Amino acid sequence: MERIETLNNENRMSTQELLQLIQSKIDGGCTEFEINACGQHNIGGSSWAKDKNKTLRFVLKNPGQRVGAMGMKGTSIVVEGSVPADTGWLNSGSEIVVKGDCGDTAAHCAASGEIYVGGRVGARSGALMKHDPKFKLPEFWVLKNTGSFSFEFMGGGVAVICGYGCEDLKSVLGERSCVGMVGGTVYVRGAVENVASCVEILPLAQSDIDFLTSGMERFLSKIDRSELKKELTNWSEWHKIQPVAVKTKQQRMSIKEFRETEWIEGGIFGEFINDDFSVNVLAGTGESRCRIPEWNKELCVGCNICVKNCPQKAISSDYVSDSEKCIGCGICAALCPKSAWSMVDNNKEITK
Amino acid sequence: MAAVKVNELHKEDLPWIIEYDESKCIQCGKCTAVCSFGAISPCVEMRKKSGGTPEKSELEKVLVVKQNVGFENHCVGCGMCTAVCPNGAIKAVRNLDDRYAIRYRAEKGESLKRGGRSNLNTEGRTLDKIKIGRISQMTDPSLDAIRHTFEIKTPFGRVLSADKLGFDVDGNNIIQSRPLPPNRWVYPVIFGDMSIGAISSRMWEAIAIATAYLNEKVGLPIVMCTGEGGIPVSLLKSRYLKYMILQIASGHFGWNRIIETMPEMVEDPAGILIKIGQGAKPGDGGLLMANKVSQYVQEIRGVPKADLMSPPTHQGLYSIEESVQKMFLSMNAAFNFRVPVAIKVAASVTSVSVYNNLLRDPYNIVGGFFIDGFAGGTGAAHEISLNHTGHPITSKVRDCYLAAVHQGRQGEIPLFAGGGLGQTGSFAADAFKLICLGANGVFTGRHLLQIAGCCGNDTEKCNACSTGNCPAGIASQKACLTKRLDVDKVAENIVNYMIATDIELRKLMAPVGCSTLPVGRSDALITVDRHIAQRLDIQYSI
Repeated sequence: MERIETLNNENRMSTQELLQLIQSKIDGGCTEFEINACGQHNIGGSSWAKDKNKTLRFVLKNPGQRVGAMGMKGTSIVVEGSVPADTGWLNSGSEIVVKGDCGDTAAHCAASGEIYVGGRVGARSGALMKHDPKFKLPEFWVLKNTGSFSFEFMGGGVAVICGYGCEDLKSVLGERSCVGMVGGTVYVRGAVENVASCVEILPLAQSDIDFLTSGMERFLSKIDRSELKKELTNWSEWHKIQPVAVKTKQQRMSIKEFRETEWIEGGIFGEFINDDFSVNVLAGTGESRCRIPEWNKELCVGCNICVKNCPQKAISSDYVSDSEKCIGCGICAALCPKSAWSMVDNNKEITK
Repeated sequence: MAAVKVNELHKEDLPWIIEYDESKCIQCGKCTAVCSFGAISPCVEMRKKSGGTPEKSELEKVLVVKQNVGFENHCVGCGMCTAVCPNGAIKAVRNLDDRYAIRYRAEKGESLKRGGRSNLNTEGRTLDKIKIGRISQMTDPSLDAIRHTFEIKTPFGRVLSADKLGFDVDGNNIIQSRPLPPNRWVYPVIFGDMSIGAISSRMWEAIAIATAYLNEKVGLPIVMCTGEGGIPVSLLKSRYLKYMILQIASGHFGWNRIIETMPEMVEDPAGILIKIGQGAKPGDGGLLMANKVSQYVQEIRGVPKADLMSPPTHQGLYSIEESVQKMFLSMNAAFNFRVPVAIKVAASVTSVSVYNNLLRDPYNIVGGFFIDGFAGGTGAAHEISLNHTGHPITSKVRDCYLAAVHQGRQGEIPLFAGGGLGQTGSFAADAFKLICLGANGVFTGRHLLQIAGCCGNDTEKCNACSTGNCPAGIASQKACLTKRLDVDKVAENIVNYMIATDIELRKLMAPVGCSTLPVGRSDALITVDRHIAQRLDIQYSI
């Protein structure tokens, strides 16, 4: 056991001095530290015991930001009291126990290991947590509540927010939690409000209860609050939050349905015109034609050239053009040797 | 064969030449059927039979597609023939040696008229030379464009400075001693203002449906300016009136119906827009050619079938100031001062003077200043106006904004900019840049038509809005053409386009670090053009 006092009269050990001192002790084979810190950053992070079978243990008082940041498997950190921001940032396998509160962005980007908090955590906590399936699932347990914007962009792992003593809060996850969350699970006890639209709040399944039952006992013992077990394991008070399973594009009412059910009946021009809103195809028949053939009996010599050459087969043997077939191409008029067919513009206006 | 004379109009004079590949043609007749201009027809050609000799040859008849040559039925390059041809046998090709405009004037003794917008200066747009250059992610932390909450709204209506709000202290209470001018918070893109008549009933209704749908189903509070061609009573009586800005121009068309329907209105309109001028044809009033004045257009406007040339100024006045005062006061009074009243003018060298005068108006009755740049569109205008008159929008918006800033009164009369937005394909970027230069919002009309399937462009393609033969059914009152337009599809396309525009606006606001509109945030803009930098007072960067 190595005890380190970081304040010597008025001389405070810098972060660099402390971390390098710890490293030199680790290099010497030491695995257990008790550090009375004075706000030094990054204590307990990115270190490993010389003997890989041993666990590096830190007991800390009064550490600064990023306790256990980039913590590795085989590291165990216990903080007696509260810590500022970024606790367990990029945690990659260590176990971090904070008996008091954490500042903002606790467990930010945690990807493995466990973080147990015996109080509350600040804004943006749990943001960007993720889980690489080749490593142990990251867990983030909080006795009370989180600040706003918690679990933003969460991609994996599990967070458990117990809502203890938070009965008066409108939301134990703060404002606008889970924005951009794409993976992982947040278990939560108590009121939740104003979470992002990309997640859904679901009841617990039996497998969730099994996970929480075993984990709760461990968590409460780590933070020395085992007496709360009964109060916190009424599973009817719990929910889980997960990303919307299959991101279905929100279905809007079709314009056609809107026009037919909500829009002004018969269209706004109904007082002037009849419009059934059917759509003409290009080069269509009937009234959609730009030009309509007219036959002059007096000029016709009965040569049948028009009948034979009409691409729509629209002209009968007695020279009647079938408006259901004719598209108004004008080939009859072009071919007629006597100009018996002529094309007349279809200038009909849209009217009643 | 008819004799040909040199002074007649020839195919080589026309702006578009039809290229027809006889070997691919199956003589189905679709191309000649679809052409709304009658610019092509089936025709019998006499050809020399093969195998004969010069002395003794036989002729045979061959059916081909022929381009017609005439002032009233020449090809405008709309491309419908190509669209329907199953074999790609026909297309219109731009004629670089076009002499049409000369021949038309020489033959008719009339000025050329057409629709569309300026066909000159489509290159080198100022807005395209401006970039959003202040994105550092360090000095201005970027927001998340997709997931952050944005407030993309702008005031439509007069905004008073704090000292003019008219609050008094009465004992321990604050009381409002003077009424506040009416104001609406609207989306910074306003649809408008195209009249019934200029565009088809279906096109107009599709925009109205899209507007209602965007408000009620999408949550974008977009308002639509009606243009001045009358408004159907059913719309005036409906709850959708609240999304409509009623326009009054110098023709005053259809206002009798609006007035008569007032007792039956269940909602106030979003606003009133007094149109003084239009960017595409400053100095002119509205113009609707007789061939589009159909039966219902006659009814709703209260006029016979005739060319409708609205006067260039509002009549019944003795001076400009008196006119403006009369119009503003009357329009405010019309809805008992509950509806904001704005004004639309063509951008001009004197826009700033006008804006300054309106700012100083002690009665605070001007609720918005719409400036329309020279690249705006129109259904009909003299080509000489379209191509050679007007003023670009960018510097005018900037000048007006800075003039207000110098008096500490920016934002008091919201500025809206329009005219050629989205011309080069980036509507949201154009809107964003104009807002950074000082606009509170933008307005667009022509772009909606392009969304709807307008086949014209700014390099003399189609531009036949004034003829009544619009092949897309957008600017025609003929039943056979109007019914080509699919109301539901057009409304859906407009809705989709605005949703995309909203996403793209956020995509530009977010990296600059703005969750509300960056009105006047010209520090976000840079340009590699020194003259633009100097004129607009934005950073010059190379």
